[in-house]
Amino acid sequence: MGLENLQHLLEHVRPTVLFHIGEIPITTTVFNTWIVMLILFPTAYLVSRRLQARPRGMQNLLELLADFFNGLLEDNMGKEGRKFLPLVGTLFLFILFLNLSWFIPDMKPPTTDLSTTAAFAVVTIVLVQLIGIKKRGLKGYIKHFFQPSPFLFPLNLIEELVKPVSLALRLFANMFGEKTVVAALFLLFPLLLPLPVMILGVIMGLIQALVFSLLTVVYISTFIQGH
Amino acid sequence: MNGLAYLGVALAVCLAAFGSAIGQGIATRGAMDGIARQPEASGDIRTTLILALAFMEALTLFSFVIAILLWTKI
Repeated sequence: MGLENLQHLLEHVRPTVLFHIGEIPITTTVFNTWIVMLILFPTAYLVSRRLQARPRGMQNLLELLADFFNGLLEDNMGKEGRKFLPLVGTLFLFILFLNLSWFIPDMKPPTTDLSTTAAFAVVTIVLVQLIGIKKRGLKGYIKHFFQPSPFLFPLNLIEELVKPVSLALRLFANMFGEKTVVAALFLLFPLLLPLPVMILGVIMGLIQALVFSLLTVVYISTFIQGH
Repeated sequence: MNGLAYLGVALAVCLAAFGSAIGQGIATRGAMDGIARQPEASGDIRTTLILALAFMEALTLFSFVIAILLWTKI
């Protein structure tokens, strides 16, 4: 009984294989990511094609976003933080659109799949470590593991290893949880009952995208300045 | 025996939510006090608060994932 209910519930969330290209199965996750990319890239191109000194419409929104992240980066790591704006802004916009793709009917948002979020987390963390190596040199990078005292080496190592896991799990579990709760409420009573949780889902999608990019900024800035 | 497993699933999420709700409440109270006393620092406080809340939220969500895993094992 319990398992059947759960299977029914998870059908709304689990990715399914749509078709195969050669031997590679294409799941709904990958396909929906393509759809979001198809929405995001032309929009970004159209908005940024004709930039004006006196912004109008969508350009206002993008400038607001860029200003916010610029301020954040400069607060955290000074003038040189500005060069990370493309990375952080892209992460924010992409994750935001992936989260909100939930509201396209019959669409499973790709961020409810652990593979998507794990990919994001691994890319981010590898980049952060590379920035750390570049900033401090290989010697300084290895030295920072032994920083306050050599006894703390295991703790420092675990801290670095846990970063990607917690990044991936946080985003995945938030979106997966939202979706599961809505599906459960939908099974109970479909009319209007899931609506408040879905509205919460909009805010959640925004906040999780913000948190992911904020954490990226914080992780980078630990390497730019001292620990 | 299965009944106890269901209890475990329910308790996992419930206890984690209990703890992190208290933690988030305390953190938000501190942030609000700070903003009320120093409105000009509200931007800094807000970003720090969101980060702190995200860290606390993550603990509940970890236990949520474990609960789902446990549920599929029953």
